[in-house]
Amino acid sequence: MLLWRTTLLNELSLGLNLWALGGTGLVAGLLGSALGVGGGFILVPILTLALHLPIHVAIGSSLVAIVANSCTAAGIYTKAKLANIKLGLLLETTTIPGAVIGGLVVAFIAPSILSALFGLVLLYVAYTMVGRRYLVSEDVLSADNSVAPDNTTDSLSGSLANSYYDRNLGRVVAYKVSRVPTGLGAGFFAGILSSLLGIGGGTIKVPVMNLVMGLPMKAAIATSTFMIAITTTVGALIYHYHGYIYPFIVAPLVIGVVIGAILGTELAKRAGGILLRRIFGVFLFLVALLMFLKTANVI
Amino acid sequence: MESQKFDDSRLNNWLSLGFRLGIAVCLALVIIGLIMLLSLPGAKDIQPLVRLDQIPAATVISVGILILLLTPIIQVILSIVLFSKTRNRLFIGISVAVFCLAAVSLVLALV
Repeated sequence: MLLWRTTLLNELSLGLNLWALGGTGLVAGLLGSALGVGGGFILVPILTLALHLPIHVAIGSSLVAIVANSCTAAGIYTKAKLANIKLGLLLETTTIPGAVIGGLVVAFIAPSILSALFGLVLLYVAYTMVGRRYLVSEDVLSADNSVAPDNTTDSLSGSLANSYYDRNLGRVVAYKVSRVPTGLGAGFFAGILSSLLGIGGGTIKVPVMNLVMGLPMKAAIATSTFMIAITTTVGALIYHYHGYIYPFIVAPLVIGVVIGAILGTELAKRAGGILLRRIFGVFLFLVALLMFLKTANVI
Repeated sequence: MESQKFDDSRLNNWLSLGFRLGIAVCLALVIIGLIMLLSLPGAKDIQPLVRLDQIPAATVISVGILILLLTPIIQVILSIVLFSKTRNRLFIGISVAVFCLAAVSLVLALV
């Protein structure tokens, strides 16, 4: 094991430097925390294609960086009351089993077919996110829900209702959570796909919470960030146990990611919900493109 | 409704504190570890990685990373404690379920 490590790191040390890793972490932290997606979509390709890390080391390092990113962002989002902790915990009850099942069936499903199907789904969601009809509804959502959302505190939906101060709008936004069973089903689906495709579940969870469950975009991003912290930790601990986490590779990544996450959360707090939706839609188009390239074996 | 808002606010405050504390300790150890590495003679690049297991700096960073990885798990435990204080049985159950599911999936992956 020690010999393997030494040989591997001898090769790695030739092409790596602290600044490249720190810079990669900063970009991933900024985008990941601003969009509530973790940042693995940036980290894994850069660590493998540009920095030539072996895939297991790249994924392990990426998972640790995502935990750092989501913990930093979750600390800020929960302080600003943006993250819906109760909803996040509830959705985790189906997301974690989904991730386990995804890990168990991964050997039986052709990744190329799955990538192509997922790419098509993402294209549709991206179109929906930037579509005029839904952009209007986001605006209405923020305005209409500025009153007390639900007085039935004994119901699940009532206890999931939440509110936060929107700096961009200059007032408190209150909202209620609808279609909880659909959200739980989508959480399960997100867990399976995150294991099968190695993507963060935020790509699915944010649109579902926003479009289906009625959360404002900022609350959806913040809640997704809180959930990613819990889900990703399990994967990162597994990679840590198997010896794929290298301290001197992860250290600059973590520093970069934390700085990026602080900047990203500030961006998300200041930005308008519609702008965030548009940026998220563009992000989904890019991920869909990556999925099609993966299907075609280009990357 | 007011009582629920108060509970949610307290939950957010405690979890925020937990996350920030975890990140602060991790970041401090990671920075100390990197400074220890860079202060080694001839360590202007990452070449000393070949002696990974013998460098104290690696141990310091590893402890920081482990604290980081345990932070979200501690937050779930903290949620159980906070929901227990307000006797919110539904969310005590949900938080316990999340903790158990995380533990089971970890065990399943390791065996």
